[in-house]
Amino acid sequence: MQKYTRGNYATPASIVIAGVLIAGALFFALGNQAPISGGQPVQQQPTAIDTTDQIRPLSNEDHRKGNPNAKVTIVEYSDFECPFCKRFHDTMNQVLEDRDDIAWVFRHFPLDQLHPRNARRVAVASECVNELGGEDAFWIFTDGFFEVTPSNDRTDISTVIPNLVAKAGVNETAFNTCVASGKYDQHVQDDVDDAIATGGQGTPWSVIFGENGDTLPLSGAQPVGAVMQLVEIMLKSQ
Amino acid sequence: MDVIRSVLLRPAYAGIAFGVAVVVFTFSIWLPNWRLILTVIPSSIISLPDKVILFWNLYGSIQTNFTLVSASYTIAIAILFGINIVLFIHHIKIRQGPLSGSTSALGVGGLISGFFGVGCAACGTFILTALLGLVGGAGLITLLPLGGEEFGILGVALLGYAMYSIIKKIKEPLVCDTIWPSNNK
Repeated sequence: MQKYTRGNYATPASIVIAGVLIAGALFFALGNQAPISGGQPVQQQPTAIDTTDQIRPLSNEDHRKGNPNAKVTIVEYSDFECPFCKRFHDTMNQVLEDRDDIAWVFRHFPLDQLHPRNARRVAVASECVNELGGEDAFWIFTDGFFEVTPSNDRTDISTVIPNLVAKAGVNETAFNTCVASGKYDQHVQDDVDDAIATGGQGTPWSVIFGENGDTLPLSGAQPVGAVMQLVEIMLKSQ
Repeated sequence: MDVIRSVLLRPAYAGIAFGVAVVVFTFSIWLPNWRLILTVIPSSIISLPDKVILFWNLYGSIQTNFTLVSASYTIAIAILFGINIVLFIHHIKIRQGPLSGSTSALGVGGLISGFFGVGCAACGTFILTALLGLVGGAGLITLLPLGGEEFGILGVALLGYAMYSIIKKIKEPLVCDTIWPSNNK
């Protein structure tokens, strides 16, 4: 007579437990969990698959690269110390090199819990560069920072920021005064709130925005091919 | 290795292992963009070829949206889980009975741990970050030397050990135990 092994229910029980754990993790990860950013948890939107239509309307105050009359705009919410934002910054520059019919808008989404030292400070710094040097200066600063940063709060911003401020042609004294004033703290927080309202739970977080108001979400540092395909899809829907 | 080779040389088993590995890998890659996928799939405006091209292009994120470590264990977990499944099926077939609880738990635990390490669509691991955020501990990830990727590495280790355990069980000789009923005279 063959002896049955113990734990006849172990396998199905393991699978059920695993399924519950993974489903629970997905539920909290994808639906109802307050994103990581800022000092306080942000009030969650009602659960919906896509809340990118909550995006703050584009305006002349946005930092924009590319075609000013673009039918498709990619709004990216970025963290200066995020290594994947660094990669996606290169991707977006390449996309704009390959296409002249789209625009790229840069908004801030510093992840304070992951990059508490630098991310928000650099975001504010970039706004001061923009105020004092204009849009071109902003992009010189932003492109330059992503080029040199080792990411994950390892950047020596006491050296890097002054160098980039000088490269952008901005007066350092005026820049320091601007940063110390705190006048752009709320602007950065407004961008963060906007990112969260559209469903952003990390960075880079992007919203593909069509001329007719259609939106599509894009999470992470996706490759050029995926971004191009989304642009094509959005253009066809216009 | 002989057991793995002999199992995977059978086309049906190889097919199952490959299919499971592809499903697990696809899930890992597409998970960060579940909103996009659930928006695109039912859309009647977007053509089927456009959908297919988009989903295919998302696979490229294994290079752009993962570190070398996380990409490696994501692929390893997919492969190991596929192999574990066919070894599990083969074991049931030849033994006519289930695996022990500990071995099952190892395999499932490996997959769960691996999924906690998945992510880096954003900075930090995707699921782990959200779960820790629930208890206000998302910042704990920054204390981990690899930012949560330890869970993915643990997943690989658990799946590897589960595979070793199943292979060991498969290689055990089939014997019948003699059972003496307690009231046997």
